[in-house]
Amino acid sequence: MAANVHPWPLTGPVQRGVGRSILLTLPIVLWSLLMFGRPGAHDDLKTGLAGGITALFMIALFFMMMRTGTTYRWRRWFFVSVGVLFPIGFIHQIMVTRGTMGIPIEEMIAGRTPFCFLPTPLLILPAALTRTIIFPGSILPGKGMAGGGIAAMIGIWLAITLVIGKGWCSYACFFGGIEEGVAAIPKRAKIRNIDPRWHYLPWAVLLAMVLLSLALFEPAYCMWLCPFKAVSEYVAARNTVGLIQNAIFIVLFAALVIVLPFLTKKRTQCSFLCPFGAFQSLFNKISVFDVRIDREKCHTCVLCQNACPNMPLTKESIAKGEALMSCMKCGACVDVCARHAVSWHIKGTDVGLKPERARLMFLYGAWAMAMMFGGSIIAQGLATIIGAFA
Amino acid sequence: MEVHALYGDALALGLASGPACLAACGPVLVPSLLTGQAGFLPNLRTIAIFLGTRLLGYLLFALVAWQLGALSSMLIKPHPQLIGLVYVLMAGVLAWYGYAVRRNCAGNCSTSKLVTIGATVDASGGARQGIAGVAMLGFLTGLNFCPPFVVAGIRAAELGSLSGALLFFAVFFAGTSVWFVPIAGLGCVVRNQALITVARMTMALVAVYYLALGLYMLLGR
Repeated sequence: MAANVHPWPLTGPVQRGVGRSILLTLPIVLWSLLMFGRPGAHDDLKTGLAGGITALFMIALFFMMMRTGTTYRWRRWFFVSVGVLFPIGFIHQIMVTRGTMGIPIEEMIAGRTPFCFLPTPLLILPAALTRTIIFPGSILPGKGMAGGGIAAMIGIWLAITLVIGKGWCSYACFFGGIEEGVAAIPKRAKIRNIDPRWHYLPWAVLLAMVLLSLALFEPAYCMWLCPFKAVSEYVAARNTVGLIQNAIFIVLFAALVIVLPFLTKKRTQCSFLCPFGAFQSLFNKISVFDVRIDREKCHTCVLCQNACPNMPLTKESIAKGEALMSCMKCGACVDVCARHAVSWHIKGTDVGLKPERARLMFLYGAWAMAMMFGGSIIAQGLATIIGAFA
Repeated sequence: MEVHALYGDALALGLASGPACLAACGPVLVPSLLTGQAGFLPNLRTIAIFLGTRLLGYLLFALVAWQLGALSSMLIKPHPQLIGLVYVLMAGVLAWYGYAVRRNCAGNCSTSKLVTIGATVDASGGARQGIAGVAMLGFLTGLNFCPPFVVAGIRAAELGSLSGALLFFAVFFAGTSVWFVPIAGLGCVVRNQALITVARMTMALVAVYYLALGLYMLLGR
């Protein structure tokens, strides 16, 4: 019996008092005022109302993170909201601007294709070798749907990435929320034993897409494999190839964003396909924040591994006391560990040394970025909905 | 035009077109290298085999087209069925290569030899015969129409003799090959099971792409 008695007690997350939680939320309140409350931030009552609701929503979630000492479930509310409201706002905008969800070839030639962050790694080699951006968008702010342009998007991506690394995939990506929402629906996973070799597939997709993009001089992932074309904008199906492309997008979306997340309770598109996620993993190497496992406290119950929506925790990595570089820093593993063996960590410090301070430092950066990027997406989606009923 | 100026043109054309050739061969060559042995020299050897058979493909195509008296016309308006067939073959070889390479390396991934297509194992279980997969891929890539190849082919077709055209091709090829030497640096990437798996999966994905492209060309638009 003595062998089963663990020296570390089973306790829940450390909760804070209301006053202290409010105090810790104040910086986020100020940031939200700057983002959504500054003079001239809103064109009309509709966008003002949407901005106000968004600010309150983000502040409330952060407050609950401070109050409860947990991260994942509150972040998930934000993330799913972004995932659901992005298509609403975006599709409304393209319907108003160009009248169709299909990208007309004329728009591509004119460089007015909206740029999302996913093809970023595909642009690097062609730009380096030929000084050409192989995306039919505008580098600087342009007309129509070109929006802020490729340079602005890459600038935002770089700023967020340097701070939170692959935390981008949990706090900034506007695609992952749908599958995270679907994965949250079932109580238990119906498919549990997933061959760990599938974890390598995003890297293979990244390598294949980078090489094919260079060979074909077009963003191959956007042309052939992006599931989110199904809920943003698709290729105008003017011929057989266009039809095949759209069929691939829809099948991938249905399989990887709806069906498999429901069956596995994992973000399967992020775990098994997304080349941008694989690319983003590289930046976890330079990010100062990571998740570590205190081997003295760990009982190898693998609750953390099961709770993780991705696949960066394996028995081997747990034995080493760390998550793999594909960790998205969502906080699920930290929240679920009743022995506090899994904790937020700042590189260069001892594991388990003031983990709450590391969590706070990470969350301030991540939430500020989330409010700036995801918050504006939520506000746009809400404004669209309010506009529809007004 | 003087002879040395003519072949100077070919070399310059090759040097200028090198990045495009590298880009066209990348999806086939890079994963093949990553599944191979570590080290600069082994990778250089693999690249040399790939380029050698690619040159063979170039020259064979030029030779046949010249004999048919249709080098220019075949380059300007290539037959999609022919290219489609090459793509399908390439997809098959790539898929085979990805399936066969280091399948049973069991952690000892630093000593595998070139994967061979149609390999046989003798009674002692040692000697392997057949065509090296990289050589096959190089040959099929050579039969393919990458834009620099078309440009060089049209220029070569203007020459009066077959030997002159073939030499023009060869010099052009030497110019493009310079750009391939740096990617032997991939030999410095540490080979482990994860990298091998990624490279094999990449081959499968590229094979699917070439197969789709090939079938599309074969069956008509």
